[in-house]
Amino acid sequence: MSVHFLGVRHHSPAAARHAGELIRRLRPAKVLIEGPWDFNPRIDELRLPHRPPVAIYTWVALPDGTRLGGCYPLCVYSPEWQAIRASFETGAELRFIDLPWADLADPSAALHRYADGELRRNPYVEKLCAELAVDGFDEAWDRLFEVDPDLDADAWTERCHLLCRFMREAGEVAARDRLRERFMACRIRDAVAEGGEVVVLTGGFHTSALRRLVEEGCEDVSLKPERQGEGRGICLMPYSYRVLDGLRGYDAGMPNPGFYHRVWEDRQAGLRDPWRGLLADVAHALRQRKQLVSAADLIAVETTARALAAIRGHAEVWRLDLLDGITGALVKDEIDPAALHPLLAACHDALRGDAIGELAEGTPLPALVLEVKERLAALDLTPTATGRRVRLDLHAPEDMDRAMLLHALQVLGVPGFRLDRAPAGVGEVAEERWTVGWTPGFEGRLVEASAYGATLVEACASRLLERAREVDRDALAAARLLRDACLAGIESVHGMLSARVAKLVQDDDDFTRVAAAAAEMLALFRYDPLLRAIGRDDVGQLLRDTWIRALALMMRLGVPPEPGPAVAGLAATVEVFERCELSLDLARDGLTTALERVAGDRVQLGMVRGAALGALWVLGARDGGQVDGSVGSFASPEELGDFLAGLFRTARELARRHPELLRQVDAALSGWVDDQFLEALPGMRLAFSAFTPREKHHLARALFESGEAPDLRVDAGAAARMLAFEAELFARVRRFGLRGER
Amino acid sequence: MSDAAKIQRPAAEVLYADELERLEQADADRDRPAGWRLSPGAVLDFVLGDDKRDIEPKFVGTRRFVERCVVALATNRGLMLIGEPGTAKSWLSELLCAAICRDSTLTIQGSASTTDDNIKYSWNYALLLAEGPSEKALVPAPVYRGMRDGKLVRFEEITRCPVEVQDALLSILSDRVMTLPELAGDARTLYARLGFNVIATANTRDRGVNEMSAALKRRLNFETVHPIPDLKQEMDLVRRQTDKLLARARVPVTLPPDLTETLVTTFHDLRSGKTAEGKAVEGPGTVMSTAEAVSVGYAAGLQAHYLGKGRIEADELVSNIVGTALKDDPDDLGKVRHYFDHVVRGRRGGQWKRWYAARKLLG
Repeated sequence: MSVHFLGVRHHSPAAARHAGELIRRLRPAKVLIEGPWDFNPRIDELRLPHRPPVAIYTWVALPDGTRLGGCYPLCVYSPEWQAIRASFETGAELRFIDLPWADLADPSAALHRYADGELRRNPYVEKLCAELAVDGFDEAWDRLFEVDPDLDADAWTERCHLLCRFMREAGEVAARDRLRERFMACRIRDAVAEGGEVVVLTGGFHTSALRRLVEEGCEDVSLKPERQGEGRGICLMPYSYRVLDGLRGYDAGMPNPGFYHRVWEDRQAGLRDPWRGLLADVAHALRQRKQLVSAADLIAVETTARALAAIRGHAEVWRLDLLDGITGALVKDEIDPAALHPLLAACHDALRGDAIGELAEGTPLPALVLEVKERLAALDLTPTATGRRVRLDLHAPEDMDRAMLLHALQVLGVPGFRLDRAPAGVGEVAEERWTVGWTPGFEGRLVEASAYGATLVEACASRLLERAREVDRDALAAARLLRDACLAGIESVHGMLSARVAKLVQDDDDFTRVAAAAAEMLALFRYDPLLRAIGRDDVGQLLRDTWIRALALMMRLGVPPEPGPAVAGLAATVEVFERCELSLDLARDGLTTALERVAGDRVQLGMVRGAALGALWVLGARDGGQVDGSVGSFASPEELGDFLAGLFRTARELARRHPELLRQVDAALSGWVDDQFLEALPGMRLAFSAFTPREKHHLARALFESGEAPDLRVDAGAAARMLAFEAELFARVRRFGLRGER
Repeated sequence: MSDAAKIQRPAAEVLYADELERLEQADADRDRPAGWRLSPGAVLDFVLGDDKRDIEPKFVGTRRFVERCVVALATNRGLMLIGEPGTAKSWLSELLCAAICRDSTLTIQGSASTTDDNIKYSWNYALLLAEGPSEKALVPAPVYRGMRDGKLVRFEEITRCPVEVQDALLSILSDRVMTLPELAGDARTLYARLGFNVIATANTRDRGVNEMSAALKRRLNFETVHPIPDLKQEMDLVRRQTDKLLARARVPVTLPPDLTETLVTTFHDLRSGKTAEGKAVEGPGTVMSTAEAVSVGYAAGLQAHYLGKGRIEADELVSNIVGTALKDDPDDLGKVRHYFDHVVRGRRGGQWKRWYAARKLLG
């Protein structure tokens, strides 16, 4: 049997080199690669002159309606990519042999199919790292397989084989992997049976098992019948290093694609020391940012990096040696682990690389384009050159779907879809008006947007995340991002998006903005049936965190330049508490402590203190008698109106039903001379504008009935004289142009 | 009691003399920078520990970070350790000195009153008046001794010194030479022997300390010492250190594991601004360092032994947080209370319920 197994680590440039060389040397009849089996009918698409990084994207709709996508990214330095190129070059038949995604997809599977995040948690790797005195698997791998340019293919293969065997023996093999291995082994046996030499390239973790299964034979895996046919798809799409480097956890692969790209290119060209080019890039980037990097600095970086490489046993200065050299020699201030230092940011950018792949002309369109076109057609929204107006009744489920799709396209910036009118608030007619028309940029933008994600939901989530990165310390902007996510119908806020929103809220030091954000989220969480976010856990958690943050800021609320927004903020925190105390487990103590602090702050504005006091009254932390007692401390002409305006803002209903309060106010007023009364008048008027005319009437009547108010009745003659005087007064005001209106 | 045992706190090279001896013997044929007693690899093992050779881990941090520090000392630049108070900067500098030159005592304590004399040399004035300037009349300060003997010099809290005093190091670090104009002949110039270098430390939290000149910054490699990111490692360390301190004070009380977890989690959350559940929380302006957690544990132990029930409970720890965490800013108390009200309140299991109940002791 002539099968050559080559076990590799995905995205390893050294493995890529050996894979290409092996195939060119052996010129086998067939090359089998760990790639999705259901791509085989389209495998010739790979012959087109694509520019990597590209990815094979495959998706399946699960019975519950969720759509899961898996991704096989191919960089120029991927062993798979080089094996593909070498097979086409030598005329070998190329086949993918991995179990189709549709048959193994479940929410716990890694979406990045060339990830090796689980290796980092392998017990053997832990021991290996301790033995090699390195901090993690990536460093251990580099040390053993990548750094030394002179390591020959046989030694490399043997080492990789041993490493993978030990890892396999130490760790658990997931049932999913066993299933895939059986499938792959059967495909290898098929190929062997057809005759000719066969090269098999898979993740090294599978090699020993495959070898055994191929020798001994095994039961074939039957594909799940319910997942064949409609509801699945596979295609090529452009990929980017930015996305590849951003994968974390179980989806993580080899980090720093830009670095390995350069390693690949330099070694192909017979050059050593790939770090030199990178350091030049970093220095260039820094100088462009007007950061001074002198020749002496670069010498210091080089000295440090080379010394580090020496004590780490690296034949050449490697990834982290360079990063550490820059950290040690150039960074002259504290490194905050939470925020990337600008000098290191330039370095990370260079290590990450900025390559964006491009599919060759004539490649079938990416999945996102197909999905959007399909959905537009299904909802009768396909844009036409003439354009048309669409009116959507948001209470109709089908129109709601249309609205979500259109909002999602807006998030992605697809041209040709314009929102002309939207309901401004709760209680307005739930109707949206759109203009839908085809523009030349429509498809192009969709192809570009596929780089954000392969499905509409994924792409929208990444685009929103990108927008979230552009915002800084602004809770309100963050809350609006959340609203856009809901409008676009992104069911569960992407984990990273909600983390970013939470961070923006946490970094915002402005009480009024954070409280306004809480109000915005409350609307999402409690009121707005159109957005379908009611009661959603993730929104609830964010609301809870925002509310807690607002309380922390309330505790040290300074004197605001304008009382209005702060008062609105106090009212918002109380409202959130009243609506969500139980559902979100909000702490009453926390709220009352913060409110007491504001209410008792002697330098605080009267209106803000009044609002805090009103809130405490509403929450039952103060009773009516205590509130009446406080009127005395604000009974100066300049303060009383403001205080009452604040109080009525938060405790309007209680105040209306508590006539004693009014008597206290009346008592304070009665003690003033005319000038004082006139000074207080505008403020008082503003305060009582909280009530409707009918309520004011009832208040006044209650006051008269208590018998303390003077008799204000006038006869008709006096009233007529008053009116005449007023008319004369207004006429003069107009004549002298003192007020512009009417 | 031996003389060494009567010392409150022996230097690292005394405390770990045995380990250093063993490392040096095993290290005999390994390559090392001139003037170093150990090879860089052995220095790393000494600092980070090595199970196989029975070397105790002494500092918690990534290997990458300690490698950078060791390499900085082997080059022609000095090492500057910066970070928040209580992150074991001085301890790391002491360990590095003990490993590299077996002497961590060449130390300058930086302060506003530090002068050139404390750094380079001064005079025995009686001799100076009687015999004139001579090497005999010269009183060497740490940098002079470090240069003369090829050893590492520690400069603690360097940013507390006035800038012009810090700059005394400029020519010494770049030219590795000190001029003594008072002396004649060869004695006029002191060339640093191989092995001489400087480890400076500074903390990033204090306001109102002196900036450092760009010229001096250029001659030092800066390394930020971070608080311990791993909760479990920090718990082990706090417990070990607290029990060590209590044993030294002859107090038969230990810090129970479940309370250590509660205490360290609280410190960790408040310091990192992020709770164990991944929620953001606002920490106080004061440092919530590992060292502070140890002193809370220590104080709680003393209180329990002398004034309490003889065992540490949530009450003792929480009441001592007030003294440690809340120093100058009155807002800090509010922030800690906020943490108790919103985060501790929702936690279940372990000692969290009692921890929450003890919040009244926050005052």
